[in-house]
Amino acid sequence: MEAEESDRLVTGSPSAPHQLDLVPDALLAGRAADGDTAAFEALARRHGPLMRACARRLTGSLADADDVVQESLMQAWKQLDTLRDGDAVKSWLLRITGSRSIDHLRKRRNHSNLGDLDHRVEAGAGTAHQDHPESAALSGSRMDALKAALAALPEEQRRCWVLKQFNDQSYEEIAQTLNISTASVRGRLARARITLAREMEDWR
Amino acid sequence: MSAPGDMLSCGHSLADLSEYLDTGRIGDPGHLADCPECQSGLASLRRLSALGHELLDADTATAGSGSDDWMKTILGNLRLELRPGRIIPLRSDSPEDVLTETEGSISALIRSVADSLPGTAAGKCRLYGDVTRPGAPITVGVDLAVVYGHPLEDRAATLRWKLATALARQTELNITAIDVTITDVLEPRKPEPLNPEPRHPEQPPGPGAPPTPQEEP
Repeated sequence: MEAEESDRLVTGSPSAPHQLDLVPDALLAGRAADGDTAAFEALARRHGPLMRACARRLTGSLADADDVVQESLMQAWKQLDTLRDGDAVKSWLLRITGSRSIDHLRKRRNHSNLGDLDHRVEAGAGTAHQDHPESAALSGSRMDALKAALAALPEEQRRCWVLKQFNDQSYEEIAQTLNISTASVRGRLARARITLAREMEDWR
Repeated sequence: MSAPGDMLSCGHSLADLSEYLDTGRIGDPGHLADCPECQSGLASLRRLSALGHELLDADTATAGSGSDDWMKTILGNLRLELRPGRIIPLRSDSPEDVLTETEGSISALIRSVADSLPGTAAGKCRLYGDVTRPGAPITVGVDLAVVYGHPLEDRAATLRWKLATALARQTELNITAIDVTITDVLEPRKPEPLNPEPRHPEQPPGPGAPPTPQEEP
């Protein structure tokens, strides 16, 4: 098999660390469902940062977010054969990330005070702008205003907004994740948006 | 449901407009285009949505690359269990020995053969037929992605032949047919950073080019 090893995928380029990183989601999902762990890891590398971003906004904690990503990937691996449309793997992963995040919040509610946690994410996120103070000054401060307004929202409204805006879930999916009615989702999402839009209009 | 102040004088609420943005549904769509209040409300909600996208992009950038250590740690912790699939019996010289192989090992073999051809990668593969019964006729189905520029029929024919050889040599399955379905034609990889001159000057990798994965052991 040595000769075959040298013939790597994609125009004979020197064997890249992750040749599967070029392959579309659906193909990787098919392979992963067959038991190909390398294909699954390529999917995880591809969508992991987005999953992590969503989990951080939902849980408000950097450490919890990584736990959520890990649990979500574990669940995804186990349930891959239930995924009908491999092209939809990204939204499927985000849906799992959303419900695992909410589960984490429910578990944590018994242990600690939620109020302290948002600062941890902001402390971690703020460092990203320090490398580009010039370009970040304008959009960064606007972004900071949105983060502050978001942090001030009632918990349930913030969850609805993040699940919609970040995880890109439908009203029905959000309702299922939060265990509330779609009418409640509609109402909370509207409340959140009205408050946020007003804050941002005032800010302009 | 609406609090005071969320109702527009035209009779719509901001909640109506919020739902319209997500679903495209509203009681009287004809009204929207002519109503300055609704237009202004929609514009405000759209600005918020655009800002939300910006926040998501910024958060995703801050989250780091999937090739970074945090993801390696997570992947290391996962310990993905194998998917053996069906158990395939093998001949043994002594009736006391029960030898088997797994369906999962066969699909791994099929993938390794398909991936080893230049410019191809396997997708899903299936074994049709009763693999648990020795000698039963089995049809192999394999999805294949081929990089643009590689001859599709030639690759499919070569793969069928190589698979037939490998499966005959390494398994006892009675393969009666091998169906190769080309499901994707892939964009070729951008020139490696080792080569500073773009190979196709008319198509230099722009700022939108995907970053080459960097992961040194």
